[in-house]
Amino acid sequence: MTARALVSAPRALAAAAALATFVVLASLAGGPGVSRDEGRIVAAAIGDATGASAPARPEPPLAARVAAAGHAIGARAGLSHVRALRLGSAAMGALASALLALLGHAAAGGAGALLSLGLFWLAPRALHAGLVATPDLAAAALALAVVWAWRRALLAARGRAAAGALAGALFGALLALRLDAWTLAVALALHAASAPRLRARAPAPLAAIALGGPALLFALWPWLLGDPLHRLAAALGRAPGAPRGLAPLATAALTVPAGLLAAYAGGALHAIARRFRAARAPGDAPAADDDLLLLLAALAPLAAAAAGLAPGGGARAVLPALPFLALLGARAILAAASAAWPARQGALTASVALLALYPGLRAAVHAFPTGASTWSELAGGAPGAASLGLPRQDGGEASAAAAAAVSAHAVPGARIWWPRAAPAAARLLALDGRLRPDLAVADDPETADVVVVPLDGGGADRDDEYRAWAALRTARPEAGIYLDEVPLAFVYARAGAWR
Amino acid sequence: MSADPHNPRTDRAGLAGTAFALARTRVGAGARAAARAVTNGLLRAWERRPRPGRAIAILFLATIAALGARGVAFQPRVASDLPSERDWTALRALVERDARPGDAIVLAPPWAERARAILPSVPALPSLAAGEDLYGVRRVWLVALPDAPGFSYAPELALLARGALSDAPQRLGAIAVTRHALHAPALPLAFLPDRIAQAEVTLEGAPCAAAAGGFRCAGGAEVVRSVRDVGGVPRPCLSVELRGAAGPLHVAFPGVPLGRAVRIHAGAAAARASGPVRITVGLDGAEIGAADVALAGFAPLEVDTPAEAGRFHTVELTIRAAPDVGPLCLDAAVLP
Repeated sequence: MTARALVSAPRALAAAAALATFVVLASLAGGPGVSRDEGRIVAAAIGDATGASAPARPEPPLAARVAAAGHAIGARAGLSHVRALRLGSAAMGALASALLALLGHAAAGGAGALLSLGLFWLAPRALHAGLVATPDLAAAALALAVVWAWRRALLAARGRAAAGALAGALFGALLALRLDAWTLAVALALHAASAPRLRARAPAPLAAIALGGPALLFALWPWLLGDPLHRLAAALGRAPGAPRGLAPLATAALTVPAGLLAAYAGGALHAIARRFRAARAPGDAPAADDDLLLLLAALAPLAAAAAGLAPGGGARAVLPALPFLALLGARAILAAASAAWPARQGALTASVALLALYPGLRAAVHAFPTGASTWSELAGGAPGAASLGLPRQDGGEASAAAAAAVSAHAVPGARIWWPRAAPAAARLLALDGRLRPDLAVADDPETADVVVVPLDGGGADRDDEYRAWAALRTARPEAGIYLDEVPLAFVYARAGAWR
Repeated sequence: MSADPHNPRTDRAGLAGTAFALARTRVGAGARAAARAVTNGLLRAWERRPRPGRAIAILFLATIAALGARGVAFQPRVASDLPSERDWTALRALVERDARPGDAIVLAPPWAERARAILPSVPALPSLAAGEDLYGVRRVWLVALPDAPGFSYAPELALLARGALSDAPQRLGAIAVTRHALHAPALPLAFLPDRIAQAEVTLEGAPCAAAAGGFRCAGGAEVVRSVRDVGGVPRPCLSVELRGAAGPLHVAFPGVPLGRAVRIHAGAAAARASGPVRITVGLDGAEIGAADVALAGFAPLEVDTPAEAGRFHTVELTIRAAPDVGPLCLDAAVLP
């Protein structure tokens, strides 16, 4: 099949995109360190939650099960433990790519599908989310899947009932990944209410989502059955200390390269304009309905993030909105190129796409494997973000990047203290052979020979690091992990413990 | 009136006037022609303007392209604005050559902490805030990355506000180094946390046992010389943890040379303690001052001792707090 034929066949393109995504994500998945949030998931997945930090509120279980399934398959295939635990995310990334290709193709043809894929994956934080086992990328993929099934349930000529039931089941799985996804159900209800022809077909799929979703959530998370009201309220509520209002949205915006951000914003405005135009020209209504669906699906996670309901804050919180914004952005770019220079539409689209996508690609490559430390040029990159007091990483994952230096320089039998890092992260480093087997884990700085301290930034205290200065009698780092001169982790050593 | 042909001054004026009139005519004609051309061009452009929809489309694509081009140029520019290995090596050579006892470095922006690894012999000052005691520091090296995103002159201004005399800045690639000699260095006669090994500590009247770096008391309470995060700043201090004990905790430092005052700071380590905490200061068993400290920031408490200046005494600190107060960071310095 030629490239042109591939691009013109949506299913073939979706399959190719899924395969390529899985290969890329699985091959890069061994790089990033394990953050505290991911540490709880992988600890639950491998059945060893010793020392894991308690979550700020109860966390749904599906992310750990996806990681466990990937681990069961990957470990048998001889993959490293970290890579195997992240295979599920790679599979979810493949699903996201396939659905982006299908929905992008439906909205704006082959070029729309390719551009949608680029606009989503070349946001560096989206790519990073595909490399770790946190539930955010899986939630984005399942949100896309729910919208795809919902669209089929409303618009397909046949199989609408099955599509509606599938939407309900997928929504339940989505809730079992991230409970803040309940806002998507509101978005779908608003979409159904927006046009008479949709209202007629919506009750069945809406009922499947409203009833089937929670039913599947309870089935997947039996803990809720113990005291459903209180436990559900605790899990649904605002995470203690989570930012809300415009702050998490502004923080998230600063992680997206400015060209992509402009495409997303233009796509949203284009969808709104088409909706108003459709009110005057009924022939445009179906396409405008599609745009409205994507826009509402994008707004739902943004609303959850603004309310402080989404986990992670900032970039992680809004990740499920990005695929929809990418679809809208791709459609807007293609429509704009067609209107601006019809005779050279293809060349114009390719040029603009290249300028929009290249900075994200470069940033992702530059920052790998510390992708959660990237900030856009609007923030001034990692240095500008550090000056603004923004977080330098998701939660201690940069410690893993120091493992090579520790293995190379720590004296035999040295005891290593890993404050602020997930306990599972150090265990996985040792299991995967990235840390020398003779090195032991210390419980505090007083008994440690070497201390590896991640610098979380974002106002997090550095008390563990300062205690290590006192205990090791040095404030001089022996090694450091830096991104554009911004320190992400320091290694301190007792005199004589570092060769 | 015409110019006198025999008067050279009026003759020159006549020539100049003619030349000015000629120039004015020609320039005026040229300017009028240019203005007409520009106006016609604008009118033609306005007549051939794109429809609003097309104009918005062009604007949208141009915005993406411009922002994308800025993004393409951004990463190489950041790399060139940050110090290279050679710049850091030059800084190390400069500081190793010229550093003296009493020197410290200040980083601008504060995240440029590679300097701490490069310059191990010179301590880094974490804060220059007004009122901050820079104990033992006579001279400050301001190590700045002036082209880095987010750079600010705040540390420089803080040093100038302290009346520091500054040398001319030296540029080492992307690093700018400026030496500032402090106008009135704070040189304490004694910093009591450093004397913890000679101290006597009791909790609720029961003596505590000496341990590495400090004392351990019954029930797990402890007093150790440490460095704690108080309000985002590393503070060398006595780390005090009551761990459920009702107190009071009594720390006595024998043989301390006294000066005009004893200045004490107390704060919550890692923001995990909440006050208030009552601190009492005594000399040889007699109380000379006390205060309730709110633990917001690193609150100072100063007790004047001018009558005892030049003498040696046992300085006693007594801490009373709720048993669940959390970890405290407490320092005390004797001012000359």
